Amino acid sequence: MSRAADEEPLKLYPSPDELPAQVKAALKDGEEVVALAVTDLVGSEYGEGYVVLTNSRVLAVNGKVSEEVPLAKVTAASIRGYINTCVLSLDTEEGPRSLAVFTRGRLEAFDKLVTIINNLVIGKIPYNLLKEQLLNKMKSEQSRKSARAVLVKLLGLLKPIAPLLAATVAVAVAIRVVGLVPPYLMKVLVDEVLTKARADYLPYVIGALLAVNLANTALNTANAYLNTKLNVAVTNTLRSRVYRKLHELSLTHYDRFGSGGLWSRIIDDTNRVQWFLTQAFIPLFINAAMVVFVGATLVTMDAWLTLIVLMPIPVSVTGNLIYRKTASRYYHRLWRKWSRIVSVISDTINAAVLVKSFGKEPEFERKFEQSQDEFQRAQMDVFKFEQRIWPAVGLAFTASSLLVWWFGGNEVLKGKMSLGTLMAFTSYMWMFYSPVFGLIDNVRNLQLLAVAAGRLFEILDLEPDVVEDPDAVDIELKGAIECENVWFTYDGIHYALKGVSLRVRPGERIGLVGPSGSGKTTLAKLLLHLHDPQVGALRYDGIDVRKIRMRSLKRQVAIVLQNPVLLDATIAENIALGKEDAKPEEIIAAAKAAKIHELIMRLPEAYDTEVGMQGSRLSGGERARVALAAALLKDPKILVLDEPTAALDALTEDQVTEELERLTRGRTTIIIAHRLSTLRFTDRIVVMENGRIVEEGTHEELLKRDGLYKRLWEAQLKGLTRVGAVEVSEEGVRVEYAARPQHA
Amino acid sequence: MPLDLSTLKILDPSRVRVLEAKLDELTLEVDGAVYSGVRPRRPFPFSHPEIVIFYRGDEEVGMLRDYRKLDPRSRELLEKVLKVIYFMPKVRKVLSIRSVEGKYEWRVVTDKGEVSFYSWGRCVRVLHDGRLVIRDIYGRAYIVEEPEKLDGRSRLYLSMMI
Repeated sequence: MSRAADEEPLKLYPSPDELPAQVKAALKDGEEVVALAVTDLVGSEYGEGYVVLTNSRVLAVNGKVSEEVPLAKVTAASIRGYINTCVLSLDTEEGPRSLAVFTRGRLEAFDKLVTIINNLVIGKIPYNLLKEQLLNKMKSEQSRKSARAVLVKLLGLLKPIAPLLAATVAVAVAIRVVGLVPPYLMKVLVDEVLTKARADYLPYVIGALLAVNLANTALNTANAYLNTKLNVAVTNTLRSRVYRKLHELSLTHYDRFGSGGLWSRIIDDTNRVQWFLTQAFIPLFINAAMVVFVGATLVTMDAWLTLIVLMPIPVSVTGNLIYRKTASRYYHRLWRKWSRIVSVISDTINAAVLVKSFGKEPEFERKFEQSQDEFQRAQMDVFKFEQRIWPAVGLAFTASSLLVWWFGGNEVLKGKMSLGTLMAFTSYMWMFYSPVFGLIDNVRNLQLLAVAAGRLFEILDLEPDVVEDPDAVDIELKGAIECENVWFTYDGIHYALKGVSLRVRPGERIGLVGPSGSGKTTLAKLLLHLHDPQVGALRYDGIDVRKIRMRSLKRQVAIVLQNPVLLDATIAENIALGKEDAKPEEIIAAAKAAKIHELIMRLPEAYDTEVGMQGSRLSGGERARVALAAALLKDPKILVLDEPTAALDALTEDQVTEELERLTRGRTTIIIAHRLSTLRFTDRIVVMENGRIVEEGTHEELLKRDGLYKRLWEAQLKGLTRVGAVEVSEEGVRVEYAARPQHA
Repeated sequence: MPLDLSTLKILDPSRVRVLEAKLDELTLEVDGAVYSGVRPRRPFPFSHPEIVIFYRGDEEVGMLRDYRKLDPRSRELLEKVLKVIYFMPKVRKVLSIRSVEGKYEWRVVTDKGEVSFYSWGRCVRVLHDGRLVIRDIYGRAYIVEEPEKLDGRSRLYLSMMI
């Protein structure tokens, strides 16, 4: 089933010519195909079937329509998994209906399909929003599909440095061409000067050889210079493009790629593009030029001998292909054996207590010896494998060069060819091989270049999604926030917010609770306009967010994230982020409010201590409090705290909570918390589940309601009594771990 | 609610007198009350060395926005203590920096005499005002007050480490 494996198993909004005829036949007039999923099983045999989601129905098609369910009747979609197979099933008003079977290889594709169906039937996502988001997602995925399109785009991006690129290629080609001259001069030296004893020509030939060498040196210097300059220019051009793009993007994209993803694109992919560009793109021209030049020279010298020169090429290409196909197996095994050794050593060191306490030393020694032996054997196998290929390839080259000497030698003896020509020919012959193999490598590397460049364009092609109106104005916030029927998705498939509406009064303090992944943080970020709602409205003091200038908004809001990251700067500088012209005493006051001042003063360099990359020299709780101090220094109208006390011990948590109560008075505040006790001073608690607001009210109201909040609250109470009580006895403090009944 | 600056206990320099100084401890008179065993600390030793907070044990006695506004005698005594607490040789000249087994061996001339020490690779920190702080493998700091005024050779050595 290799053909099917290569195919995209899930197509979103496929074009009519992407649809199989049998699917097309099953469609009604005006019916739009949202998604087409291809199965790899029909019943218990390999085969292709289709599941089609349209704007009105779900169809299963294998040859003919085998199942048909109107979307209006579907209540949910799900997948049941078995050892190798999975079954897609729909819950309908009339009961469950199995639609199609496929192997686990297609699970990811069908899982996406299930999510889309559920978004429509459970999430009740407006169809037009779903369509827009799916199309967006496809656009960004397609941008890196076609290798040629990507390469053309890359060249477009490199236009500013095109002259430099052209000069580098030109000089590199010139070096190779100049390199062709010495063998020719040797031929002249042998045939015209030495053989014919023309002493008067000698100085000219020697002079020419010297000139060629000088030119070569000059060109090589120029080449090295241009290469260095080009490398720097390429990476700088690309990197600054991507870097600038980062600032245009909203946090939505940061979340989607993850910080690691963005990081590797800026650092690694730009380097990779630069590397492939100089290793594949430029050499492509050089090698092509060389094949043409040297080939032409060889043919003009002797067409028949040139045929002999071509002989070993097929052998070598075949050898290379076999090597590439098989070598990975041998090297992978070598690598596996090596990691066995590493794992034995690491067990011995890391689990030293276990090994020694159980007296397992002899066993580990045996294991170690064994893995050493296996590694050695694998290494020998690699050697043997390589010996099977390369000597044969080498032999082919030797044979052809011997043949050239044999036939060429005979012709020289017969006087049909001059000695100088034969010598020049053999020199050119070796110059011919390397560009031929170079070309093969270049083409392969060009594909890798397209992949790396494609990853860059994935970022560069993104459109900034938080856009302000040209006539946006500065406003002084009073602190009212209102969001209305807000929908939001990061990836176009999974919705983090599904029709959320919330009104926050100026100065109101709202607690946001709910299970992990219920959309709390997304909602909080959205309320600060770090995300733009894809559907629905966001208003501050009744003014639509797009009408408010971003700068003026950002000046008046602050967010403290759950695991705050600090800048690689001093503590003072990190706190002063909140206010440009902060006075030292304001910085201290903010730190005191965030209960971190005493700790800072215990450091020898106090506030001038550098926190290291991402604040690595501070603990999580310390970072959280520094970030909190920065937010407090800003004196924001709207403050969002995402788990402000998560990394703190119980005592500090209590202190900080008390301080928060004071500091948030009269300030619109949204606090996300798992520990519900942190929320004791909030005016209202909003409970979220699965992207929706499910409950709202004060702590007491919610407890009476017997809903999700009550369950969360009871679970935490239980947790508290179960942690274990501390008992003071004569031996001192003893912690009792046994669970105690709740009412003990 | 805006930040509360009253938590700072800012002292009026005209009402503070230093009576006695010994190593890192002072005897302080604030508004007529005498505190012994007081230790001064700079919250911003590099960026605002003029700010001093006085501690007695863990308890904060108060903060001076600019200790230089104290009367001359008090200032002299306080500076004597600060010099002990914030002892930091000033580098006048870099004689050599050699790479030895993954570390760097520095030979420098400071205001306290010629010193040599070892550092790791990333050891020079550039302060906002352009001063340099060099840190050795024990965490000891050496300061370069005006790097641009050093001789060419010293500057060349330093430029390799920044």
